Amino acid sequence: MTELRLVTEEPAGDGPFSTGTPLPRRLPPGRHGIPANLVTEHQRRRLLAAMAEALAEQGYAGVTTTRVSELAGVSTSTFYKHFGNLWDCALAAYVAASDRLCAAIEVACAECDPRQDPLDAGVEAALAFCAAEPDATQLLSAHAPLEASAIAAARRILISRLAAMLRRGRGPESESPQLPGLDERLIDATFTFVASRISAGGSAQLADLAPELTAILSRPRQAA
Amino acid sequence: MRSEARAAAREALPVEMTDQTPDATVREGEMEGVLRAVGELGFRGASVRAVLEYSGGHRRQFYEHFDSLEDCFQQAYRTWIDRLGVELLEAAIAADGWLESVRAGLVRLFQLVTERPEISRALFVEVHVAGGEAMAEHDAAIERLTLALDSVRGNLPDEEAPPETTGLFVVGGIEACICDVLAAGETRRIWDALPELMHLAAGSYLGKEAADEAYEDTRALLERERPELGGGQR
Repeated sequence: MTELRLVTEEPAGDGPFSTGTPLPRRLPPGRHGIPANLVTEHQRRRLLAAMAEALAEQGYAGVTTTRVSELAGVSTSTFYKHFGNLWDCALAAYVAASDRLCAAIEVACAECDPRQDPLDAGVEAALAFCAAEPDATQLLSAHAPLEASAIAAARRILISRLAAMLRRGRGPESESPQLPGLDERLIDATFTFVASRISAGGSAQLADLAPELTAILSRPRQAA
Repeated sequence: MRSEARAAAREALPVEMTDQTPDATVREGEMEGVLRAVGELGFRGASVRAVLEYSGGHRRQFYEHFDSLEDCFQQAYRTWIDRLGVELLEAAIAADGWLESVRAGLVRLFQLVTERPEISRALFVEVHVAGGEAMAEHDAAIERLTLALDSVRGNLPDEEAPPETTGLFVVGGIEACICDVLAAGETRRIWDALPELMHLAAGSYLGKEAADEAYEDTRALLERERPELGGGQR
């Protein structure tokens, strides 16, 4: 079973597979002189991206290791060298996408203009991530099937992480929440909302939702 | 009041009621069977054999009623989600005021989740796996609930109206919460979320003061009546 990690293990920003570097579908065949560990890492990353793509394409009902391998440009035997089964791969893809989303929000909040509300910055960064990675967003927001209960657990961890960020984004007066579960409900609702928007009209207009989403997230804490 | 509410709800949401012939009873059993099978084994793991283990009856009879397992699931889904819609509407209409209606609807929903977790799992979680026509029925049901929730807008001045997508947001939060407890297999925990969900609904439409009041009222209600509502002891 793939280990569930809370901490990102992304390579350093200038590495060959750093975030933002588009992955080629497959490495050149034959003798290419690329070290074996890099080839292995490259395959793994392609498989994770392919898992999200296959889920967006076929849903949990239709996704297969064959299709994931095909999209990643590897054989199914290579798939099984990396993952014990389909759900191990889905979990690893889920955790990797969670880490990327949280990192994007954290960076945006840390680097935002002091005059900008961190909540605005966080919401904008989250929506930018969702627009750039619609397959990953659907993976993160979808409810996993019975067989993939570890993904449901990973989803709960992600919701808690994002809820903690939401509390921080609201400022110190919200650090000691009276209703610890409310922010989790707000994040859950946000996921469902964004996923329904992606299903309905694609991801291109997601950024336009930022003011509305910020207003909705703030409203339960605001006086009428 | 209750019978009036029932009549009004049935009129608002016409539901195909199954007749009582032996064949219809078997078909009804197969529809319940497919939801139980999907809820317990997952959509990917369910089979006609599993359905018949729950419902009884014969394979040939099953295929006289349905084209396939997927067809059976889709028809069962529509029937059950429509009935649930009527029950929620009945509960809401019987309550006095918007907030009380929301709470009554949630209580009825949570009763289903705690009494029939396997059916709830099929209706709320596995439908996302199944996709297709069942998912379209799911989306239509969500839209109806969103409209019902949005009815409070009529009482709000324009300057206090919440963003347009608030209803979808709140219903999404409620469904996600249900999916979460079902996925964790901790269905009684759903009752702990009732005050928070009331805070979410009230706060999203009416602001913080109403949210805090709804939260406290609901907490007090649970302290007094949780076992009677169906939520067991904490």
